[in-house]
Amino acid sequence: MKSKYEFEAKYREQILQCSKCGFCQAVCPVYGSTLRPAYNARGKMLLLKEVMDGHIELNDELIETLFQCTTCASCFENCPSGVNVPEIIKEVRKDMVNIGSCHPAFTGMNEVLQKHTNIYAEDEPEDFERERNKKAEYVFFIGCVGSYREDEPALAVLDLLDRLEVDYTLIDEVCCSGVLEDVGFQINENLSRQNIERILATGARGVITSCPYCFRTFSNKPQYAELGEKGVRIMHVTQFLKDFDFGVKTDKRVTYHDPCDLGRHCGIYEEPRQIIRGIAPDFVEMRHHHAEALCCGAGGGVRGAYPKNSIAMARRRLQEVEEVGAEVVLTECNSCVHNLSNAKLRKQKFRIYNTTQFINELMEDAE
Amino acid sequence: MKIHQYNMPDDLSYEENHFWVKEEGDLIVMGMDDFAQVMAGEIVYVQLPDEGKRIKLGKKFAKVESGKWLGKVFGPVNGELVAVNEELETNPGLINDDCYGKGWMYKIKPDDPGEVANLIRGPEAVEKWVLADIEKYAE
Repeated sequence: MKSKYEFEAKYREQILQCSKCGFCQAVCPVYGSTLRPAYNARGKMLLLKEVMDGHIELNDELIETLFQCTTCASCFENCPSGVNVPEIIKEVRKDMVNIGSCHPAFTGMNEVLQKHTNIYAEDEPEDFERERNKKAEYVFFIGCVGSYREDEPALAVLDLLDRLEVDYTLIDEVCCSGVLEDVGFQINENLSRQNIERILATGARGVITSCPYCFRTFSNKPQYAELGEKGVRIMHVTQFLKDFDFGVKTDKRVTYHDPCDLGRHCGIYEEPRQIIRGIAPDFVEMRHHHAEALCCGAGGGVRGAYPKNSIAMARRRLQEVEEVGAEVVLTECNSCVHNLSNAKLRKQKFRIYNTTQFINELMEDAE
Repeated sequence: MKIHQYNMPDDLSYEENHFWVKEEGDLIVMGMDDFAQVMAGEIVYVQLPDEGKRIKLGKKFAKVESGKWLGKVFGPVNGELVAVNEELETNPGLINDDCYGKGWMYKIKPDDPGEVANLIRGPEAVEKWVLADIEKYAE
């Protein structure tokens, strides 16, 4: 029998594999902040089984459940049955959009990216006072969050690249639009084409980005495959910097927050740690780290659609910073910096930085 | 004073990015005005810098956010930040509930109290400014 929905056609067997053990509940950040079992992966899989069995229909009543997911992949990482929940959620969101049931924040995000070149519909990015679109060995791609929300870490990584005398250029970048795939829509090929053409025009042999999401999109999405085909290597900034000797150290106690998009989604765990161990002898891991790291709550469009819950998730993560007595939390994702900084309470005296921003500050202080 | 649906008390002074200012002894209190909180929607984050921070006239010193909107807070005068509304840390929605009362944001000690006179103040000036912004943001 033909499946009514695409998610069923693609993932029926996986959904039926869910043994309802609840391992996912223990690690789901949405469950952690809402304590609602329907919101974790098991709850979502039970609902989808009911949809496949014809007992309920996909409709607006399921928006809260199916769109409230950071796609952090903690559930997948901990699922003994190997159910790839994030991919299933992304697919069912597309089905929801196709039948006209979508969270208004995500509908808005898609509309914005049909008309504007960034997810915030802002007119002008911060002026980073760098030449753009010139010939260079590397393109540095900032991403929307760095360009429009977290300009200080974005500027700091550029300053660091300057200190290290890296031959790079910025481009007139537009949103990679990868997020649209997570919230039920498609990458905007008008935007991806602009990025590809501008990157290729620089003659660069590599693209460096400090945004794990842009890194993921450029690396894995077919719309950007042309970059790889033309010999342009895509690098996260931690991959690029891991072997540099920065010549500075801190005596502060430092911990590291694994961004979901860099860690669980791309498997990059050790490069940031290699860099941090080189500058911070008192490096400590939080209770949850590497593939077990808690999500900051910003992913999957949740920061925009469910900001209060998103910040609640970040506060849970920051409790773990307090537990280890860290004075500095490093990460390497502007969205994580943004959400964790929004969540930090005034009584919490630790600082939150991108690793590159922290290194730049240490180098600045040493001058 | 009501200007369209917005409550804009005419005994306050206003910074052009829609933050109100009230003189309170030798300090000024500031917060987001009704026009801004309606336009922004539900406020989810208010940056509360440490007391003692230097505030420079016209320079960004904090951020306010609703879901997808980021507002920058600019110094209405030169001075020093002496208090922040800590309630906003866990309940930023107070700005939506009571922007001129419990939703106050910052207290600043101005270097020169006379600088407040340079803000938008008085019924006529406030009305002209708000009407222009209503038109601007309707586009």
